Amino acid sequence: MTNANLNQLPELMAVTQALAENLLASEPFVIYQQASARFNADPQARGLIERLSQAQADLRRRQMGRGVTQTDVDQLRALQREVQSNDVIVDYVTTQQSAVAYLREINQEISLLIGSDFAALAGRSSC
Amino acid sequence: MSGFDLNELELAPPEVVRQAARDFAIALSETPQFKAYEEAIERLNHDAAAQRTIDAFQSKQQSLQAMLMLNAVSAADKAELQRLQNAFSSAPTVVAYAQAQADLMAICQASADWLSEAIGLNYAAACGSGCC
Repeated sequence: MTNANLNQLPELMAVTQALAENLLASEPFVIYQQASARFNADPQARGLIERLSQAQADLRRRQMGRGVTQTDVDQLRALQREVQSNDVIVDYVTTQQSAVAYLREINQEISLLIGSDFAALAGRSSC
Repeated sequence: MSGFDLNELELAPPEVVRQAARDFAIALSETPQFKAYEEAIERLNHDAAAQRTIDAFQSKQQSLQAMLMLNAVSAADKAELQRLQNAFSSAPTVVAYAQAQADLMAICQASADWLSEAIGLNYAAACGSGCC
């Protein structure tokens, strides 16, 4: 179902929109958006994440081919330390965790009222 | 929290956000899809014949659990398990329940997709316990 199908449920559409607006204006999300904007505007931070992601993928490939050396591991650890000491990245990650924790509280509020886990009903099984 | 200035006048107070969540839950519970789902559960719970077919399938499945994990179930047991699964999945109340659940999930997914797009986080993935 797409948003177009929600058009047939105007009341649900209105409260979904209101909830989205309120979530966006909540403190955890405002702080997360600020951190997210700083991260997206920081080429160094983005580059570090891309390099880490690439290094992790390379290491996984080499593990499958049993070609991992101590130097590979040391380089990955050095990159991990660099990421962990980057304030923009750390702020982005921690504020995202706070936003997710808050979202879970909101989901619990919804789930208690409907008697089922809303997130589970909204999930798409990938298993 | 970050040290950045937040204009408190522009922030939604926690109680307002929670009220929006409650309004959403109430509206969801009043949709035809949600009511149909609840009715389907009720009918299924009171359908003794369907419950017996479900119990029979689950009982057989549990008795074969170790063999299923080892992928070592005999052809006869596989056929019996399939027959029991067909029996319960074709029971009218089970079919109605599955359809009602699919319809409800469709509107829940549409709402969650809307929320996800707005907040920049995948709602279901963020709140879900994961799978597998």
